Amino acid sequence: MRTWFPEAYEEFNIVSIYEVLVDYIKTGRIKINKEKFANHTVTLHHPCNYFRKSKAAFDKEYTEEYRYIVEQIFDKKNIIDMHPNALNNHCCGAGGGAWASPYSDERLTYGKVKADQIKATGAEIVVAPCHNCRDQIMKGLTPKFDMGNCKETLYLWEMVAQALIIEPWSEQEVKEAHALRDAQFERDGIDLDDDEY
Amino acid sequence: MEALKLGERKEGKLDLTPEMADVCYTCTTCSSGCPISGVVPGWDARKAIRSIAMGLEQEVVDSKFPWVCTLCGRCQYACPQGVQLQKTFRGLRSLRERDKVPGPLHKGTIMNYERGNNLGIPKFDFLFLLAELGVELMEEDEEQPCPGFYVPVDKENANIIVTINSKEPFGEPEDMAFWWKIFYAAKEDWTVSSVNWEGVNWGLFTGDDENMKIQVERVLENARRLKAKTILYPE
Ligand code: SF4
Ligand code: SF4
Repeated sequence: MRTWFPEAYEEFNIVSIYEVLVDYIKTGRIKINKEKFANHTVTLHHPCNYFRKSKAAFDKEYTEEYRYIVEQIFDKKNIIDMHPNALNNHCCGAGGGAWASPYSDERLTYGKVKADQIKATGAEIVVAPCHNCRDQIMKGLTPKFDMGNCKETLYLWEMVAQALIIEPWSEQEVKEAHALRDAQFERDGIDLDDDEY
Repeated sequence: MEALKLGERKEGKLDLTPEMADVCYTCTTCSSGCPISGVVPGWDARKAIRSIAMGLEQEVVDSKFPWVCTLCGRCQYACPQGVQLQKTFRGLRSLRERDKVPGPLHKGTIMNYERGNNLGIPKFDFLFLLAELGVELMEEDEEQPCPGFYVPVDKENANIIVTINSKEPFGEPEDMAFWWKIFYAAKEDWTVSSVNWEGVNWGLFTGDDENMKIQVERVLENARRLKAKTILYPE
């Protein structure tokens, strides 16, 4: 985007998931239930896209933001790093579209390095802030390799969503939202009571 | 194979010299830190770079190597000489004839070009699904009920516009609810476009710059049309 459409950066505020989540937490727009993951250990997978590649392309990587978000949810003592990590982290093995490519043996051979890294941390949960990495770790590596204590792979935003304290909107807010929703459904020809679906 | 005449190196299509070919130390920092070294027999990052430098570009293009390499960039990050390995390897993918791109990636890229998402999901199905899930996953969620939630489609002047990874709507729809809950809790003013909402750019993987650019352009078009202030940029 920066190469092809530099003007977009003037026109819009372009943000990553890390910036949005950090902002919501810092400004108190979302609240976290610290109990949710208390007594659980976690390790962080650093996807190539947000770290090395983002660093190379935009001179921006999200090590601190990522850590900050996880620290709002887990106790610091329960966060166990893989080695190497951050900018030197190993790819999950499914980067570059490998999840959708026919070379699945090679993808798993590559991923064994990741599985071993995760196992070595002894953590119960691994966080993957990328669709591709999460699919590889959860559906590729977990059934295939010994992952030690690690039983769960969570998207970063899944982890946040699970730990959210959600306060239902006020009656007034719900009413307004429903009015907007009904107008939108009407415009788009959507009828949820239609039995055809 | 013909013997190489080093003095008269063939000009390759990848513009790699001099910053690459002539500065490589052959130190193997790249290949020793790469889990894929030797997985495609006979190939690793250093050998690929040296082959290109010696004019054997086509052999690397025809090999599986650039596709088994995950373009993770670790080699490039570690190279003491600043050789642009990852960029070069993606460039090798670009040089593959389009009908020889392995797997469904190129088909997905074309599907996205023609229908606005990698899986070719029709617009009405998409909108209906979002509407239905808004009720099922959010308003009726037992542990974290979110009364009043719906997916705002084509809402003008929203603060944030988001894209969607096409594997989710039909493959893993409940996964969309994670962001929805966050937006609900934050009372975000957000929207998603009814067309060209794909958030995954497969052109990036196939080395297809043209389609990759079209995809980025569409994200911007949607944001302009709906007058959104912020673009939540997908992976
Ligand atoms: S790390 Fe760089 S200098 Fe060393 S062999 Fe690889 S490309 Fe050459
Ligand atoms: S970009 Fe490719 S060659 Fe380089 S370290 Fe990653 S997988 Fe290996």
